[in-house]
Amino acid sequence: MVRYLTIRLLQMFVLFLVFLTILFFLINAQPGDISAQFVGNPDIPPEAKQILRERLGLDQPLFAQYLFYIRNVLTLNLGVSFDHYPRTVADILLTALPRTLYLFGIATLLSYIVGFQTGKMVAWRRGSAAETGTMVTSIILYTVFYPWFAILMLWFFGSQLNWFPLGKFLTPAQWFDAPYTANQVFNTMLLSMFLAGAGVALVVWGTGKFVAEPVPRTRARRILFALIAISMLAFWLISPMSRYAADIAYHTVLPVTTLTLVFYAAITLLTRSSMLETLREDYIFTARAKGVPEKVIRDRHAARNAMLPVTTSFVLAIAFIIGGGIVTESIFSWPGLGLTLLNAVNVEDLPVAMGALAFIGLLALFAHLVADVLYAFLDPRIRVQG
Amino acid sequence: MTADRSMVAGKQEGEKPELDPGPILEVDHLIMNYRTKDGYVSAVQDVSFTIGRGESLGLVGESGCGKTSIAMSLMRLLPDNAEIQAGKIVLDGDNLLELSDEEMRRRRWNDIAMIFQGAMNSWNPVYRVGDQIREAIDLHWEEKPTVAVANARIAELFELVGLDPAMMDRYPHEFSGGMKQRAVIAMALSCDPKIIIADEPTTALDVIVQEQVLEELRSIQHEFGMSIIYISHDIAVIAEITDHLGVMYAGKLVEHGLTEDVFARPRHPYAWLLLSSTPSVTGPRLNLNPLEGEPPDLLHPPTGCRFHPRCPFATDQCAAEEPPMEEIEPGHLVACWNYEQVPEMKAESA
Repeated sequence: MVRYLTIRLLQMFVLFLVFLTILFFLINAQPGDISAQFVGNPDIPPEAKQILRERLGLDQPLFAQYLFYIRNVLTLNLGVSFDHYPRTVADILLTALPRTLYLFGIATLLSYIVGFQTGKMVAWRRGSAAETGTMVTSIILYTVFYPWFAILMLWFFGSQLNWFPLGKFLTPAQWFDAPYTANQVFNTMLLSMFLAGAGVALVVWGTGKFVAEPVPRTRARRILFALIAISMLAFWLISPMSRYAADIAYHTVLPVTTLTLVFYAAITLLTRSSMLETLREDYIFTARAKGVPEKVIRDRHAARNAMLPVTTSFVLAIAFIIGGGIVTESIFSWPGLGLTLLNAVNVEDLPVAMGALAFIGLLALFAHLVADVLYAFLDPRIRVQG
Repeated sequence: MTADRSMVAGKQEGEKPELDPGPILEVDHLIMNYRTKDGYVSAVQDVSFTIGRGESLGLVGESGCGKTSIAMSLMRLLPDNAEIQAGKIVLDGDNLLELSDEEMRRRRWNDIAMIFQGAMNSWNPVYRVGDQIREAIDLHWEEKPTVAVANARIAELFELVGLDPAMMDRYPHEFSGGMKQRAVIAMALSCDPKIIIADEPTTALDVIVQEQVLEELRSIQHEFGMSIIYISHDIAVIAEITDHLGVMYAGKLVEHGLTEDVFARPRHPYAWLLLSSTPSVTGPRLNLNPLEGEPPDLLHPPTGCRFHPRCPFATDQCAAEEPPMEEIEPGHLVACWNYEQVPEMKAESA
C-alpha cells in the first residue's frame, strides 16, 4: 500500500505539472490583460497602463512568463493578485477554499448517506408506491436546470417565506462589535467538525479492531458516538463564539439544502440501479438458499456490493464542484473558490484564476486517489499489492 | 438436530439413517406455474416422487423441462411470478408448503441445502469464503458456535472436499472454478442437511475436475448417509452417481425407477430416445436415434401426453388422454400408453 501510494503521488505530481502547463497557456490565450479594464477610463493614460503591465511582468514573452510561473509554483509561491494587490493568491485562496469545501463537503456527505439509504430501500421494495414517488422526485431533481432550481429555492425560502437569508456568508450587522473575525469563527467550526469526524472514524476503527463480538461492539460504538455528540454540543453551548457560528450556519442552510437535493437525486438513482443489478446476482440467491434473513441479505450482501459503483461516482461529483461551485456560489453569493474564480476571470486577474483552477485540479486529483484507496478497501478483487 | 453440533462431525456418527425408515422427501402431485402476461406457463405438471434416506435421485431432461423449477420449489425460492397451485412437499414429515416464511427460512440449509448451478458466481465477491460458510453455521447451528469452533468445522469440511483449510481466509476470486465448486459442497455440508439438491453441480467444470468432484460427492454421501437430488442434463453424470432416476419432459415426470433399470430398459419413448441418442465411446458403433422436433411451448402445452407430437409411437389416444404414471414392474414407473412398443436398447449404455 505504501509503495502504491508513493507511485500514485509521483504520478499525480507529474500530472499536476502537465495540468498547470495546459492551464497557463489556455488562460493566456484569452485576449487582453488586467490593463484592459482601464480602457474606458480617461484618467489613466496609456503610459500608466504600460507601466502597470511592465510591473506585473505582462510585457515579457509568454514562454518566459510560463517558466517564471512554474518556478514560483514549485517553491509554493502562487504569486500576488493583480486585482487585490498586494494580497497574495495563496492568502485569497486559503480563505476561499475552506468555505467551498465546507459547503460541498456537507452537501456531499449528507447526500451520499441519505441517497444511498434511499436508493437501497427503493430498489429493495421495487414496484411499491414509495419507489414510484422517490423515482419521480429524483428524476425531476436530477434533470432540472440547476441554476434555475437554485434561484427557485432562493425565491421561495428566502424571499417568499423569508425563512433564510438571501445568500452571503454572514449578516454584517451582527458582527460589528464581534470580538472575532469571521475566519476565526469559521475555522473553529471546521476544526470541531473535523475533530468529530476523526473521532467517529477512530471509534469505528478501534471498536472494529478490539471488540470481536458484534453485540458489545454496537453498544460500545453507540456510547462513544453519544460521547462525541455530547462533547461537541457542550463546547458550542459554552463557547462565546456560538452566536457568530450560528449566524454562519444559518447562512449555509439554503445553499447546502439545494446542493444536497440535487446530489441526493443522483445518488439515489445510481444506488437504485446498482442495487437492482446486484440483487440479480447469483450470490444473492445463495444467501437466500442459506436461509439468511431478508434484511441481512439487503444490507450485508446486496448493499455492500452496490456501494462499489456509487464510490466511483464520488470522483465524478468532484467534477461538479468546478461547474456547480461557480453557479452555486454566485447565486448564493457564497465567498468560496467558485466565486473567487469567476471574479478573477472577469477582471483578468490571472494569478488568482490560475491559482483557483490549480486548486480545483488538485482537488480532483486527490478525489481520484481517495476513490481508488476506498475502492481497494471495499473490493478485495482489486486490493493492491505491496 | 439432537446431536451436539459443536462437536466436530459429532452428528453423523450419532445418527444411523437405517434406524429411521420411510422417505426423507415426498413430493406429491406438485403443480407449479409461472404467471406471465401471455398466460400461465405450466412448468411443473403433477410431479410425484419420493426419496428414501441416504438415497440419491437423478432428474434428467432437456433444458426448460422443469428440473430446476422443482429444485426451486423444494427450497421455496421461486421467483415472484411462480405459483405452486397444488401438491405437497413433505420433508421428514412436514409439508414445506405449509410453513411460514420465517419457518422455511430456518429450514433452508439446515434441512435442505443446495449446490448451485453457477458455482462460479455463487460466492459474494467481497467476503472471505470461510466467512460466508460461517454465516450459514452461525445462522443454523442450535447453539451459535464461537469463531474458533466454527473455523475448526470449516477446516474439517475443506479437508473433506479436498481443499487446503488455509484457503478459507481467501476471497472467492482467488479460487479456481473447481475449488469454488468444492467450497460450495463444503458449505452445503456445513449444517448437516437431511437432503442436498445438486443443480448441475459439475456443468461449469472441465471433465477431469468434474470426475473428481463427483467422486467426492459420492463418497461424502456414502459416508454421511444423506440424500441427494442430482439435477443434470448430462446423462453420463447421472448414470454414474445415482440410485434412482427420474426422466422429465415438458414439466412432467415421465419415467421413474432404479437408475440401472431405466438405463437398461427405458420404457418411455422420450427416455428411450434420450438414452439411445447418447453415443457411447467404449461401446459398439451404433446408429443413434435422433430426437426430432423442439420442446413444446409450455404456455400452450400439447393435449394428452405432452410428448405425443414428437413421439414415434404416438396414437390417437396419446393426443386425447394424458397417460397416468403406472408401475410396470416393481419400482419402475412410466407414464405412457404404448410403453410396450418401445424397443429394447441396442446395447448396454450404462
